[in-house]
Amino acid sequence: MTRDLADRRGVETEVYGAAEDSELLAGAAADLVGSGWTVLDCGTGSGHVGVRMRKAGARVIASDLNPHACERAREAGLEAVRGDLLDPFRSGVFDAVAFNPPYLPTEPETEWDDWMEVALSGGQSGRAVIEPFLDGVGRVLAPDGIALLLVSSLTGYESVLGYAGDRGFETSVVAEESFPFETLSVVALTR
Amino acid sequence: MKESLMEIVCCPIDKADLELDVEEREGEEILEGSLTCTECGEVYPIEDGIPNLLPPDMREDAAA
Repeated sequence: MTRDLADRRGVETEVYGAAEDSELLAGAAADLVGSGWTVLDCGTGSGHVGVRMRKAGARVIASDLNPHACERAREAGLEAVRGDLLDPFRSGVFDAVAFNPPYLPTEPETEWDDWMEVALSGGQSGRAVIEPFLDGVGRVLAPDGIALLLVSSLTGYESVLGYAGDRGFETSVVAEESFPFETLSVVALTR
Repeated sequence: MKESLMEIVCCPIDKADLELDVEEREGEEILEGSLTCTECGEVYPIEDGIPNLLPPDMREDAAA
């Protein structure tokens, strides 16, 4: 499978590099954002999604829990902020928020306690980070703002959409790609 | 960070305004300094151009 934790681990331990999921989200985000928009690349990782949104003309704020990811985002020319999900941002400031979350369901005994795990693991449900994101993203979005969330079939697609619906979001799939072990979807969340 | 980031960030704990204190600036970029919450008084460092807006209990560099 493409995102096996053990495979990734040998390659990189500090910052999750751009892979199929980042690319799918980056393309959808670049198509969505307009010139002059203020957008958030939440959990920026390698900065790939943020750079694409900036090329599309947006002012991009890139945030991550991981200090190494923040440094890379800044080196890539993005406005980096170290923070936990949406906590350090004012209400109603973003025209769009893009998030490629840690989503792999992970058994507690297989977790590694390093930055790569933080970037990949979504806890036992795969939704340990997605749910707090969905709880908070409505606050930071402008009234007509749109959130783009990457959702894997491994994470429980219907559960994620149901949770988003319960928080008042309408959902629509704007990009989708199938791989042997999972289907990746970019879901647009609007109110 | 750019000074205009002040319009976007807030205290992660109580969402109040932050007050910027600049120690080192390079053109438009603020490289070193701090952000202080006008409500709770918590101080957030700006290091190498990156504001660290994690709450104090999450601020250690070690992974979770």
